[in-house]
Amino acid sequence: MRPSTALHTARRDPRLLCAAAALLLAALCAASLAVGKYSLTLGGLLEGDGLQTQVFWMLRVPRTVLGAAGGFCLGVTGFVYQTVFRNPLASPDVIGVSSGASAGAAAGILFFPGAVGTGMCAFAGALAAVAAALALAALDRTGRNGTIVLAGIAVHALAQTVLMLLKLTADPERELASIEYWIMGSLSGVRIPALGIELALCAVCLGALFLLHRQLLLLSLDEGEARMLGVAVGRLRLIVLLTATLAVSAVISLTGLIGFVGLLAPHAARLLAGDNRRGTMALSGLLGGVLLCGADILARSLTAVELPVSIFTSLLGAPFLLYLVGKGGRRS
Amino acid sequence: MSFFTVDRLSAGYGGAPVLRELSLSVEEGEITGLLGVNGCGKTTLIRAVCGQMPHRGTCILNGQRLEGLPPRALARRCAYLPQRGSIVLDLSVLDVVLMGCNPWLGLLEQPDEKMREHARQALRRVGLAGREHDNYLALSEGQKQLCLLARTIVSGTQLLLLDEPEGGLDVVHRGRILRLLRRWVRQTGGRAVLAALHDPALALNGCDRLVLLDKTGASEVLTPSRDPLSVMEAALSRLYGPVELVRCPTRAGGTRLVMLKEEREEEWEWDR
Repeated sequence: MRPSTALHTARRDPRLLCAAAALLLAALCAASLAVGKYSLTLGGLLEGDGLQTQVFWMLRVPRTVLGAAGGFCLGVTGFVYQTVFRNPLASPDVIGVSSGASAGAAAGILFFPGAVGTGMCAFAGALAAVAAALALAALDRTGRNGTIVLAGIAVHALAQTVLMLLKLTADPERELASIEYWIMGSLSGVRIPALGIELALCAVCLGALFLLHRQLLLLSLDEGEARMLGVAVGRLRLIVLLTATLAVSAVISLTGLIGFVGLLAPHAARLLAGDNRRGTMALSGLLGGVLLCGADILARSLTAVELPVSIFTSLLGAPFLLYLVGKGGRRS
Repeated sequence: MSFFTVDRLSAGYGGAPVLRELSLSVEEGEITGLLGVNGCGKTTLIRAVCGQMPHRGTCILNGQRLEGLPPRALARRCAYLPQRGSIVLDLSVLDVVLMGCNPWLGLLEQPDEKMREHARQALRRVGLAGREHDNYLALSEGQKQLCLLARTIVSGTQLLLLDEPEGGLDVVHRGRILRLLRRWVRQTGGRAVLAALHDPALALNGCDRLVLLDKTGASEVLTPSRDPLSVMEAALSRLYGPVELVRCPTRAGGTRLVMLKEEREEEWEWDR
């Protein structure tokens, strides 16, 4: 991963960076709770104003939690994908997660209208796509990394075709618009029960990934080298990818596709910390949370209509990434 | 029975066999060098022993067949030093060396202080003392190779397989690696090294035994310390074309083997 090699001299304490990122995230969460179409006052909330309390607990809190936790999840899994595929551009899309989820969501919008139905279908679509990609890759007994990527591209193409067919049959006024809107991603309309279930799933998966951190680094080696260090490469990679995918699917089934967080957060974390320790993985998650929360605040406060959150993750993220790369380049 | 034996091993790439029924043995406490021109199957043999290539025949280490062992069990017996490491992430030198402990750790376990101390000691031995917290990717090619050597030493296996370890190394480090391994193998006991080598001079002076691999798949064994010069010269000439072998006295009072390759002018000219 070339961009980060430049910073080897600037090794900072990841704990300090994590603390700073956590503070920033907390501040953004506070802002996210306060900002919105319906203005809340601290006094009103404390007095127990009925409408204010309801808006706070039913809309703002789920949304903020989803922004922070979802962003964290996308950041950490991005780190995992990039490490396992030894590719700085790797993301869940590589093995077909996003396209599977989109096709699933489209099917949900057409056949099981309603937020829950769409979410479940998106989740199922993502998992089906990844299962198909990994099963295809398993046909190649040598278990090379490249095979998984190839299988992912094939599945991605298939899922795109299914999505196109579903769009063709969709009613252009309502359903097609919903599909497009889902694909652009948004944190609105999250309900507490679904959020709770998905976040619990994420927590379990992320916990497992953090525990497996040492193995992740071993998976970034050549197949043969890793094997001779006692790593059951094929099996371990399968477990890690499935775990990461489960977490990503859980998030995007609630939010729709969110671009750039999983790509940017790990890079930013590596450039800041200059290594790949567990702390850097956590930093990657915190930065993901910061990015998604910040983007969501902008998405719902800049204009009267709510805008897709992906616009802002890219708008905020791309300059920041360029800044970090430029800074790293000068230092070396 | 020898410490490590390869019995009638055949392997190749896509139908074209590179190794045909090759047998060889490696004794405990010795460094055995594999010599041969490019494409004779040195790397293929090392990869076959590591279980990275499908092959016929068997490899037996200390009475245990290596074929079919799960990766963890295999890694506890054999360590492998590749031609070039494949690390692409920013990792500290110490973390790279600690990867060698992986076969002895549970899936979720972290290396303990004893292993860390062991790793630091290995780094001192290979001459990278004080570099523990440097970025592995910022090291020179030679230092990277020394760091990976420390990683293989830390894994504490019975058999060490080296695949042209001298590739990226300068003349200072080349000799150092083999001297270091010789000491390690003799002093710790119950170990042996099998190294594919490019440089015949290094092999002649650094190895206890040499296996010469012919392009036709035949092999010959030399013991540089005992075999007469004429026998070795003949064997090496069959491998590399006409060569001259001399025992050269050194200032320190010992002798070293030197191989001179006879260069012939070829009978053609570039078109103008």
